[in-house]
Amino acid sequence: MAEILRGRARSRQGLFREWIRTRTPANSWPALVGLAVFVAMLGLQQLIEPGTQRLLTSVFLFVALAQAWNIIGGYTGYASFGQVAFFGLGAYTVAVLMNSYHVSFWAALPVAVVVGVVFAVAIGVPLLRLRGHYFAIATLGAAEGAREVINNLTSVTGGGGGITIPTFGTDAPTPYFGKPGFYLAFLVLAAVSVALATVLARSRFGYSMVAVHEDEDAAGAIGINTTVVKVVAFGVSAAIVACAGAFYAFQQIEFYPTDVFDASFTVLMVIMVVIGGSGSVGGPLVGAVGLQLLSQFLRVNLGSFNQLIFGAIIVLVVVFFPQGVVIYVRDAWRTRHFSVLDNVRRYRL
Amino acid sequence: MLEVRHLAKRFGGLWALRDVSFSVSEGEILGVIGPNGAGKSTLVNLITGHARPTTGQVLIAGQDVTGRRPWVIAHDRVARTFQIVKPFRGLTVRENVAIGAMHGNERDGSVRDALATADELLELVGIAKHAHAAPTQLSVADARRLELAKALASRPRLLLIDEVMAGLRHHEIESAVELIHRLRDSGITIVAVEHVMKAIVSVSDRILVLHHGSILALGSPREVLSDPRVVEAYLGHRYVNRRSE
Amino acid sequence: MSRFLQAAAYGVVQGGLLGLVAVGFSLVWGVMNVVNFSHGALAVAGAYVAWILNVRFGLDPFLAIPVVAVALFAFGYVVQRGLINLVINAPIFLTLLLTFGLNLVILNGLQLLFKADDRTIDTSYASQSFAIGAVNVPYGRLAACFLALGITVALALLMSRTRLGHAIGATGMDRGAARLMGIRARHIYAVTFGIAAALAGVAGTMIATVGSFNPTTTPGQLTLDAFVISVLGGLGNMYGALVGGLVLGIAESLGGLLLTGTWVNAIAMAVLIITLIIRPSGLIGKALYGGRVEV
Repeated sequence: MAEILRGRARSRQGLFREWIRTRTPANSWPALVGLAVFVAMLGLQQLIEPGTQRLLTSVFLFVALAQAWNIIGGYTGYASFGQVAFFGLGAYTVAVLMNSYHVSFWAALPVAVVVGVVFAVAIGVPLLRLRGHYFAIATLGAAEGAREVINNLTSVTGGGGGITIPTFGTDAPTPYFGKPGFYLAFLVLAAVSVALATVLARSRFGYSMVAVHEDEDAAGAIGINTTVVKVVAFGVSAAIVACAGAFYAFQQIEFYPTDVFDASFTVLMVIMVVIGGSGSVGGPLVGAVGLQLLSQFLRVNLGSFNQLIFGAIIVLVVVFFPQGVVIYVRDAWRTRHFSVLDNVRRYRL
Repeated sequence: MLEVRHLAKRFGGLWALRDVSFSVSEGEILGVIGPNGAGKSTLVNLITGHARPTTGQVLIAGQDVTGRRPWVIAHDRVARTFQIVKPFRGLTVRENVAIGAMHGNERDGSVRDALATADELLELVGIAKHAHAAPTQLSVADARRLELAKALASRPRLLLIDEVMAGLRHHEIESAVELIHRLRDSGITIVAVEHVMKAIVSVSDRILVLHHGSILALGSPREVLSDPRVVEAYLGHRYVNRRSE
Repeated sequence: MSRFLQAAAYGVVQGGLLGLVAVGFSLVWGVMNVVNFSHGALAVAGAYVAWILNVRFGLDPFLAIPVVAVALFAFGYVVQRGLINLVINAPIFLTLLLTFGLNLVILNGLQLLFKADDRTIDTSYASQSFAIGAVNVPYGRLAACFLALGITVALALLMSRTRLGHAIGATGMDRGAARLMGIRARHIYAVTFGIAAALAGVAGTMIATVGSFNPTTTPGQLTLDAFVISVLGGLGNMYGALVGGLVLGIAESLGGLLLTGTWVNAIAMAVLIITLIIRPSGLIGKALYGGRVEV
């Protein structure tokens, strides 16, 4: 007994080394399935038509965005309604650098990520002291404010008139990727964000995020620096989102502040995570893939009714699967208890 | 190990704690008792940084830690339990304890080691069979044991336990008392806040009695129990009168 | 100078109207801890009810108010009872999402029914104005502002003087305790949401009378305004909503005069965030529902 209370010899390991070391045949299957899906998606690209390729590219984008939101909103429990700010900042950083300074895309990309992270830390330090709705609204305000600043810095950003990235001929700092290139880029981005989330979830930092989510006083009492955990989680999330914004900007070539700061990006991230199941890796993945395919299906098949039905589906899923579809299925599988009506009673008055 | 100098805390117009000074030496068990609202939990909160004192100082191993954030104090190898248990509900019992072992100065190098530590500590406090349960499924007594295991996981040298015996049955109290003595024997200094007089008397080397935020008495269990002011505060005038008859 | 006075006067009457938009939003947030994303959509729904009554039957918008209020109250009651109550104990973003989905349904429903065109309710007097010195005050806006003032005072009296108001306030502060006192929380919540919806509908009617509205951009703008005003005024604080509305109205109209482009919006957001950080209970008074800060 005395030994365990004194601590053991320390052999500290990095995030990834430890994750690899702790793999066993039993817990390796999600990683293997993920790898198989990644390879399959690479192969699939050769077989599908351009329209499907474009759809899958947007699915990959939202997989990355949903995983990013889940880190701060799901694991850490701070529901940010301003993540689109990092998307827009990433997009504009790349566009301005490529347009005005003829910097190559690959040089501009890390700058975009840094800009996103710096902004996240700058607003995160004061705002992450707020809780619940107050944090949600403050971040919403921060994103609206960021858009207005970009909108009004006309001399730098082109303001409301939009901005164009030179993509063809000698003007282009980096040749345009084209549809296949962006398919690959967003696939890799999605894969990286899923892999990062998987490793984070079972790491010391992952447990710290959950501890902060559940009870900040208790987290502090066992030595977790709650401020650092929150700000780092916010920063990691922002880095992924800014990266996605950078690729998105290059893909779009021409865009306006209202496009890349559109609050519906944030709302979609939240919906995908919550409907899939927050605080898990599978939830955002299923939510992003399912919702993006569903909304495309509705758009094609229902015409002007698509948004109405989309809204109604959100309402129904929230009411019937408040904990998220993935978590509902997982718990139902474990407990052999599938009643949806009992599920509805969970949060009712 | 712990020294508190003229500690005071005011909430609005109310003094929850007023001019409290005492010290605890290494390897000692200090019991803190007092009726509801005497300021016991406030005292713990001030020591662990969960509240800021209005005036006064807290010293741990001779170092002034007044007003430091909770995690800074935790890194000084100070651990605590909460009177209202605060488990991390989304995690299993085992993971709850493992988080404690992942932080602090004496933390384990990897998550796997931390989980192994958790298993040993769950054995120690006697809830190993619930390792994979959700903390919300635990009984009141087991939830308090979980609090204790979480606190121990960070390998404290100073442990503050806030009503860890409340709601326990008779034989459970006996094993808790034994556990506390074993913890002390392994070198941990303990401040035990309790509501139950009987439990605290058998566990403590010295007892501090708080009343309306001030120190009413401080001394060995025998001295404190025979102090008429303590008896009056706890048992009322009638009891004092009857004894003197 | 007269431009300033004119802008200030416009800001005051506009602010009163914005206060009316926000007061129901603030009530729902304060009492039930629900941020209602569909608040702006409810306001626009109210505007359409008044618009139809005006176009079909020639009913004056001010006379249409009782009809709008009753219709929106009924709708709000049913929505709360049938939907929001089902997830009221869930983590905050679930109620946000639910009302967001509701918002999509209402907006797109309205759009399918009425097209996305800008509409306005025409009256003979709304665009007329009278002059005080160099300042023009339009009758319609002034009337709307007074109505907003009257309704806010009436609501504040309802909350402080009646059994219903006390029941709503008690449920907002401690639902468990209120239940023990025999208050039916499900019903009280539904009534609260109904009142908020009715107030939104009335505000929407007034907006339709003094300006124009459409189902695509108006609702989002109104919900955002309601957000800002509720935070400025303090949650669940009726007079706070009015003060917040006035602050926002005056700030926007003076800002529009002084600043180029849409800088005024950026500044509004900065004010919102700073208020949240340094004074989360709002500009005036104490937090009525202080415990709500923690989720």
